[in-house]
Amino acid sequence: MKRMLLKRLLQLLLMAWSIGTLTFVLVRSLPGDMAYRIAAERYGDDAITNAAADAVRAELGLQLPAWQHYLNWLGELLQGNLGNSLVSGDPVIDSLQHQLGFTLALVLGGLLVSLLLALPIGLLAGWQRDRLADHVSLLLSTLIRAQPVFSVGLLLIFLLALNIHWLPVAGFGELKQLILPTLTLGISMAAVSSRIIRNSTASVISSPYYQFARIKGLSRWQTFCHHGGRNIAVPVVAYLGIQTVMLIEGVIMIESLFAWPGIGHALSHAIFARDVPMIQGSALLMGVLFVLINTAVDGLCLWLDPRGQAT
Amino acid sequence: MKSPLIEVADLSIQSAGQTITEALSLTLQAGVPLTILGETGSGKSLLAQAIMGLLPDGLSCQGSIRIDGQLLGTSERQSLWGTRMTLLPQEPWHALDPTMRAAQQVVEVHRLVNRHSAARSRQLGQQQLTALGLQPASQQLPSQLSGGMAQRLAFAAATAAGATIILADEPTKGLDASRRDQLVRLLQQHIEQSSSDNPRGLLTITHDIEVARQLGGQIMVMKAGQLLESGPAEQLLVNPRSSYTRALIDAHPANWPVEQSRPTGLAAEADKTPLLQLRQASLRRSDKWLFQQLDLTLAAGEIIGLCGDSGSGKSSLADVLLELLPLNSGQLSWSASVPRQQRLKLYQDPPASFAEQLPLGQLLDDVIRLHRLNASRLPAMLESLALDPSLLQRPSSEVSGGELQRIALLRALLLQPRLLIADEPTSRLDPISARDVTLLMVRTLRRYQCASVLISHDEEQLRHSCDRVLKLANGTLCTLA
Repeated sequence: MKRMLLKRLLQLLLMAWSIGTLTFVLVRSLPGDMAYRIAAERYGDDAITNAAADAVRAELGLQLPAWQHYLNWLGELLQGNLGNSLVSGDPVIDSLQHQLGFTLALVLGGLLVSLLLALPIGLLAGWQRDRLADHVSLLLSTLIRAQPVFSVGLLLIFLLALNIHWLPVAGFGELKQLILPTLTLGISMAAVSSRIIRNSTASVISSPYYQFARIKGLSRWQTFCHHGGRNIAVPVVAYLGIQTVMLIEGVIMIESLFAWPGIGHALSHAIFARDVPMIQGSALLMGVLFVLINTAVDGLCLWLDPRGQAT
Repeated sequence: MKSPLIEVADLSIQSAGQTITEALSLTLQAGVPLTILGETGSGKSLLAQAIMGLLPDGLSCQGSIRIDGQLLGTSERQSLWGTRMTLLPQEPWHALDPTMRAAQQVVEVHRLVNRHSAARSRQLGQQQLTALGLQPASQQLPSQLSGGMAQRLAFAAATAAGATIILADEPTKGLDASRRDQLVRLLQQHIEQSSSDNPRGLLTITHDIEVARQLGGQIMVMKAGQLLESGPAEQLLVNPRSSYTRALIDAHPANWPVEQSRPTGLAAEADKTPLLQLRQASLRRSDKWLFQQLDLTLAAGEIIGLCGDSGSGKSSLADVLLELLPLNSGQLSWSASVPRQQRLKLYQDPPASFAEQLPLGQLLDDVIRLHRLNASRLPAMLESLALDPSLLQRPSSEVSGGELQRIALLRALLLQPRLLIADEPTSRLDPISARDVTLLMVRTLRRYQCASVLISHDEEQLRHSCDRVLKLANGTLCTLA
């Protein structure tokens, strides 16, 4: 366990450096004059003049060579400073903290909804393998998986917000406004995870050890609680970890669709504005989240399945 | 008189209208072991499953099953699981929860089924483990247990709730001779404790004639879903009526014909020219020494038998001889340089060593073309291995295990190997074809003067087929007389 945590810490450092460097290079190689793009974002598209752009260039030191910029950023990062936004001038860390809360609310809400849907459906389908419940769940899952997340979202907007006016179309602040985005995320996640749960359930309940537990004298329910749950959970937890990571990557889409002010939203705006510290900061934060999620999942799997501890 | 523990009348098993086992009756009396003897696929496992009430989906049975004199339906028999009757599994490793520690698999039965307090359950579980010599392994996971330990743990778990009627489905499958005997003793102890107020029963299913002999009691012989004969063990094993029972008995290694050894002149000559020498060899796997300071000389054309308990390092030693595993210290020297394709290995599971989709003939052709061999030797080799040439037109899945292992041998012999290592080549075959394949293999290897090492956990089998037999135990090799 300790070794795993140490390895993860090293991974975290390496990742922080490589993400920062990569985003730096990528943003620098985008076409267009950075000073103009930033000025446009600050003062509006109509107000940019050469003078405004030059002022921005001078203020931010954009005339300095790239390598000097890069070293400055690296030095700051070592001190734990993510720098200031080029657009607003506020410290990047402040806006990230603010946005991270929103993103986490969305991600955790989505995960919760997906589990509420996937667990009963997956268990039932696994139990009823190759029978009606299984076929219906496969059909639904395929239909949902066949379209991108935003189209599920649009469908829900039409249905629940525009047609029957139960929920607001977009925005944030109230709990009510969290429902549509989390429902969208949850449904599209459950489409896949319910099948994973189904496969795991089917293979566990048809395994010789599951049958042997019954032969030992345990009731169906006791067998499920003591030999089913844990063994079904092992592959499911591993998959949920991957899914959550994919979710944070994909959250940009959902946040844009529902105007949700999380880090995905922030990242897309920062890219339009060439706000390098903001891009680096949010990419870095996402990377840190990935490593943390993977670490948590690995720890959980190790606890669930003690076979890994032996080696 | 008390009613028998199990009384089965006219029980037949069907799958989608097809009869798998024909109507069969049996009676299990308290204190008298009943053994069903027959080869894999003869439907004997299904019989045990039908009695337990756990036939796989799609199979159904007809006939009556009485337990303790009462006619019971499937779900009623299921309610007796653990408390009255139990099934000892075929593959104990698979029957134990892979993520649960050994002791807990027994303790939970006391807790959940017998409804003892947590502390009392732990105590009872530990007592059972101690009695079976499993105490040191109580915190281990099934994957860390040896086959024998796993089977004993399964026995403890299966009987923890008090079941005294035990159905054992090939309980010694994959166990070496000493562990097999250990388990048979355990089953014997169980049945010996039978008394009028604690009637105990044992129904064992096996293809191992030795298990049937040691258990004694009554024996039933089954083949292809049919009962061939039944009777008391001592009588049936000495004087079998059916030819199949005779063949099964003859196939036991102790009854194999004694193979004529190498002509002495040839042996003397060969000993002067050792093919390879292993000196002061030591090999370690993770933190355990498999063997240390080991010496072994293999003469050209010599056939050595290598036996030892599972996990003793037989296969690793073989891999060292083939230079598939590097030694930690010591050296392996060949008297002449032998190319890679003339140092070969024959694997345990014949289907796993052939590509599934292609006809076998094509697989052999590929070897012939790759190494530019002389294809004209093929017909003679087929004949010497008693193989019908038409077999080569089929893919591996349509050929029996015994035939496939002989084709694997033929494929190896095509390359005129100097050294062939056969790692348990017949342990997956039924006893009769195991004998046929082993004897034929040894004869053929002698004819082609190929030095070989036969690995088996059955000493008897090696004694009847090899020039000398070595046993690997506790990291040292000793020659068996």
